[in-house]
Amino acid sequence: MNLDDDSPSIQSKRSSPDLFFPVSDSEEEEQEDVVAASATLGGPSSSSIIPPSTSSSRANGGRITQQSQKEEFLGSQNSDDIIPLDTKPSSSSLAGPSKVKRTLSQSPPANIPIGFEQGYLGEFVCEGWSLSKGKGYCSPGSKVIFERPKPKNQLEDDKAIIARGKEKVGPARLVNGKVVGAKGKPIGGKQVTLGSMMGKKTQTAPPKKANGKPVVDSIIRFRNDRGFVGRLSVQEAGSLTHLLDTGIIELSGHVIDCPQSLSTGCTILLNVKVYLARKAFEKVEKVGRKEEGSFWQEQKETTEEEAMRKRKDALGALFSRIGVKPLRSNALLLAQKKNGAAEINETSLEHFSDFPKPKRSPSPSKGSNASGDKGKEKASAANSDDEDENEDSGDEAEKLDDRQLNEIDSIYRKAQQGDNQLEETDPPNTFLYTLRPYQKQALTWMSAREKGDESIRDNQTLHPLWEEYAFRKEQTEGQPIEIEDDDDFVDPSRKFFWNPYSGELSLTFPTSNTKAKGGILADAMGMGKTCMMASLIHTNIDADVTSSPPPTTENDEDPASKRPKFKQVTLSNQWRAIPTVPKPAANAPRGTLVVCPVSLASQWHDELGKMSEKGTITSFMWYGNDRVDIERLLAQEGKKKVDVIITSYGTLASEYQKWKKNKDKPSYEGGSLYDHEFLRIVLDEAHNIKNRTAHISKACYELKGQRRWALTGTPIVNRLDDLYSLLHFLRLEPWGHYSFFRSFVTIPFLNQDPKALNVVQYILESCLLRREKNMRDKDGKLIVDLPPKTVEIQVLDFSRPERQIYKHLEDRAKRRFIQLDAEGRAMSNYTSILAMLMKLRQCVDHPLLVLGKVIEDDETADKLLDADTGDEKNNLKDLIAMYAGGAKSDTNSDGEEVDPAFAAKVLKELGEQETTPICDICSNEMFDEVLLPCYHRCCQDCIVNWIGTCEDQNKPALCPSCSKGPIKLSDLRSIQRRRKRINPITGKYIDENGLPSIQQGDNSNGELVIGKVDLVQSTKLRALVRKLEIMRSEDPEVKALVFSQFTSFLDLIETTLTKEGIRWLRFDGSMSQAQRAATIEEFGKKTKEPLILLISLKAGGVGLNLTMANHVFMMDTWWNEAIEQQAIDRVHRLGQNKPVYVTRYIIKGTVEKRIMKIQRSKTALVNASLSGGASKEKGASLADIKKIFGLDEDDSEDEVY
Amino acid sequence: MSGGLPKRILKETERLMADSPPGISAAPKDDNLRHFDVTVAGPESSPYEGGVFKLELFLPEEYPMNPPKVRFLTKIYHPNIDKLGRICLDILKDKWSPALQIRTVLLSIQALLGAPNPDDPLANDVAQHWKEDQNGAIEQAREWTRQYAN
Repeated sequence: MNLDDDSPSIQSKRSSPDLFFPVSDSEEEEQEDVVAASATLGGPSSSSIIPPSTSSSRANGGRITQQSQKEEFLGSQNSDDIIPLDTKPSSSSLAGPSKVKRTLSQSPPANIPIGFEQGYLGEFVCEGWSLSKGKGYCSPGSKVIFERPKPKNQLEDDKAIIARGKEKVGPARLVNGKVVGAKGKPIGGKQVTLGSMMGKKTQTAPPKKANGKPVVDSIIRFRNDRGFVGRLSVQEAGSLTHLLDTGIIELSGHVIDCPQSLSTGCTILLNVKVYLARKAFEKVEKVGRKEEGSFWQEQKETTEEEAMRKRKDALGALFSRIGVKPLRSNALLLAQKKNGAAEINETSLEHFSDFPKPKRSPSPSKGSNASGDKGKEKASAANSDDEDENEDSGDEAEKLDDRQLNEIDSIYRKAQQGDNQLEETDPPNTFLYTLRPYQKQALTWMSAREKGDESIRDNQTLHPLWEEYAFRKEQTEGQPIEIEDDDDFVDPSRKFFWNPYSGELSLTFPTSNTKAKGGILADAMGMGKTCMMASLIHTNIDADVTSSPPPTTENDEDPASKRPKFKQVTLSNQWRAIPTVPKPAANAPRGTLVVCPVSLASQWHDELGKMSEKGTITSFMWYGNDRVDIERLLAQEGKKKVDVIITSYGTLASEYQKWKKNKDKPSYEGGSLYDHEFLRIVLDEAHNIKNRTAHISKACYELKGQRRWALTGTPIVNRLDDLYSLLHFLRLEPWGHYSFFRSFVTIPFLNQDPKALNVVQYILESCLLRREKNMRDKDGKLIVDLPPKTVEIQVLDFSRPERQIYKHLEDRAKRRFIQLDAEGRAMSNYTSILAMLMKLRQCVDHPLLVLGKVIEDDETADKLLDADTGDEKNNLKDLIAMYAGGAKSDTNSDGEEVDPAFAAKVLKELGEQETTPICDICSNEMFDEVLLPCYHRCCQDCIVNWIGTCEDQNKPALCPSCSKGPIKLSDLRSIQRRRKRINPITGKYIDENGLPSIQQGDNSNGELVIGKVDLVQSTKLRALVRKLEIMRSEDPEVKALVFSQFTSFLDLIETTLTKEGIRWLRFDGSMSQAQRAATIEEFGKKTKEPLILLISLKAGGVGLNLTMANHVFMMDTWWNEAIEQQAIDRVHRLGQNKPVYVTRYIIKGTVEKRIMKIQRSKTALVNASLSGGASKEKGASLADIKKIFGLDEDDSEDEVY
Repeated sequence: MSGGLPKRILKETERLMADSPPGISAAPKDDNLRHFDVTVAGPESSPYEGGVFKLELFLPEEYPMNPPKVRFLTKIYHPNIDKLGRICLDILKDKWSPALQIRTVLLSIQALLGAPNPDDPLANDVAQHWKEDQNGAIEQAREWTRQYAN
């Protein structure tokens, strides 16, 4: 049916003059051909080049079709073959390419080095059939030229080949086409079968009929200077035709072997050399971008896309045919590539790592303006990182989840490389704070990001979708073919890059071309993210101010650079369209919107005020009833000028809802945050939007703003998906598109494919800046010089009654759990198990918490508290009642007022003592000193413990020192030495049971108070108080934070502190924004007495800046160490200039110990599952729960904490 | 804390080592700091004079709420100490007080050697002997001391 032609064709290119490039070794003759071709467009160009071929093709065409049973096409085919060969294929099959051409012509060919013509890709051996008959046409070694049949403007591609092919070739005479299947010699199994010919044939048909379809015949003929000799086997030709037609490749070759005397259809072995033509690279720029946008949107495939797809497939096949291997490829590709579009394997990667000096392709436009060497090192380092990942991944597949979550740091590592080399930018003078060097670096980076300048951070990581290849050195003629090692080739000028997903080729180093302005500032907590952002706002305000009146400011600012980039961001139409046409001046984007958690709003407000020179930046709290019309607000000038709007996530969410509901109503008046286009949007603590489906996240996406920033110390909280939402907010292409992110991150990640991490690393490198406190600058100094932090874990022992209660509770919980577990109902009773655990954790803090009402609505808890078995002597409630009532029960009976004389005597005695006495029992300084009736003194714990022991042994509890007694608990009198006067606010000492404490002594100087022993205090509470007392004596103005996850415990602490005369403040989730702000402000005031801030872990763990304190107490253990870390970092952060002391209280032999153990073992699963994770995780966490109950292992008490 | 020894035990040990009462030595074993090797010299003008008696002392987990456990390793002829070395001493039992210490316990034991109490016997045969023939019993005790406690 068809003639076999080989045609190194670059048809379409020629028609656009600006793309034309002279081929240096081309012959003049061919240049003329070019002209002729383009002029005649569809004219028989091939015939003009080599008349014999044309004629032969015609002649053969007729024959072949007849012979090959393709009668149905006979007539038309013939004509097609012959005449249309020139016209038709061009119009039909080239439809795609020609479009490409058009787009091409718009794109500057700047990324192709001048002088580049083609690159040698490699060679392969293939088989062709002779179409000629007779002797002397060719012989081994003779050069051949490949042609496609007759595309009109196929041209001078041959020139290069001819130039090379200028050697003597035997006399060529045209003979007949071959008869398929009949005469083909069975060589190498590559022979064309009838079937495949048929297949081909059906393909050949369409081009004639359907204009739009790019289906082409797949015939490639080869000839030598004697005329046509034959055609490539159909299998071989398959992938080449498209490439030849579109001018992406050029072929040349020579005969390896052929029969001396050719017969039609006889096999000729050919060596084919493949070149990538300049054109291949020209296309990339423009088409590529479009391609990328639409390809992933799964829209209908356009002609262009189809062409690209074909090209991609064909190139992939070709690469694998030739055995071209990437020098460098992203692990992502390794992971995803199923059947190698290009062959990539571990070996090639290893090669690369052995060669630590990959060089960049010369890239005039994007080339690294930073030091090249550095870039290279980075690249190679990055690459070997990838390899490590690969190696690790093998047998650790199971662990991946944990490992990945635990190695989030390593995700950032890549993004951190070289950050200490960033230049420093000084903030404008209107910014009053002094920035630290690393903050100045951040300013540099952020400014650059806003300008869209990526080169500021030398971005040398290969785009994850691209692979790096190198052209090979061409063998000189006649030399034996050497097997060369790939690595020998690496010559930067011969590098090229291929995207096996889109089919794009590039000579320049592909980095992702995101044009999003903004990024993620992910410095670790306490490094001054707010401050850095404020400096950025200042930097930009400058531009505003200088460029005259506000209305036009933004437009004047840098319209040229801003607009186009902005446009690109919105290219992808899935994004909500944002007007790219400058709005009316009044609506020009201006102002910065800061969205932050409500607890931080006032902090932003205050700090912005403090950092700014008066009158330069004014911030406005967009909150509650203060909301007005945004446009009017921002239009204010002079003193009322507002530059920064601060709002909370909650406010934003509600505003979003309202706006969505009303925006389309005619009555809608605008004035909401959504009706203004901001210059900049800043999300503080941006992990608030980590859930992409959450309402608040959507509310943030919809905001209109040119520059978008996300500030967060933890961009990835639990899963990689957390990141997606941020990227989406940033409008970072292409990762901000969910299907894209899903394909390359989520799904691989779910498959526990470590490559997902690599992609994330790559993404982050482009848009994230993260420094940590322990990082060093280029001079090796710590970038943040914070005072030292000391963490002390205090392991305490329960007092006797506490332990009884706890044991009781724990035994019940354990029993119940075992029972549930045995019945297989542990899963379905998951929440109740958690409730039991909660009880235990509360009990560790303070047994009274177990009676809290929260728990009382809980069935399980009630069961815990009720005696399940009637024969229990004491049920738990009784125990607790005894505990709480230790003093109470006696109050009315023998709680007679203490005899004043007795008190006076004691006072005197005590007053003479200068130091705290040593307890006879524990040999420590007395803690919670109590007085026995015999005037001996002990620690409260010790004596209570002793009395309990005696009770157990059914013997009277005598005074340890004098054996008087027996002593009852109610006989004990507490001695409190007060260094402070009694807090006037509280007036009377009232314990939580409403029982007035008995006070003795002189209240006005209040040095000593002797009263009933308060047995209600828990061990932790007393330890805290003791510590606070010590601190008070060391530093009378000490300020401390006390964290607990239970507000009910905070209540108890409050009471106790009040009793102890220690001033405290409280910060928890029940407080309004105003209250919180007031509390923080109050806490910041200078005082002359100790001040304690009681904070609920959940409400105050994040964001607050509390550097005025330098002591932190963690009263209980949270599942996730990171949360605790966050809390500690409220204090240990920039601005802290005193050493920080952290004290964590743990009770020995309780759940706390085991929770800590789990924390340590980094079973992040606990966190995920305990906060309501998927059921799959429950299995794992069930094991954790067993651990917590101490059911799984030997649970030695000698734990080292 | 933290799984180690309570401060009290550390303090007691320190003081025992640095400033031991006359005729008494006590040192914890290397492998268990709650386990002490003790020697007590027989008090003067007692049948045990001149003898050095080995004892072992163990501080239970509940110490000081519960008394230490002490026993003689050296054979001794004493109405309140049995063949196994167990000691009948009230402060080691129901008269224990947490204000007592290792030191005071050992001093009490030393005192017990100087003042046998056959009316509250542990070794009944010895007590019997003591009651019936005090001199003979004392001589026997001397003999044993010479024989075993050197």
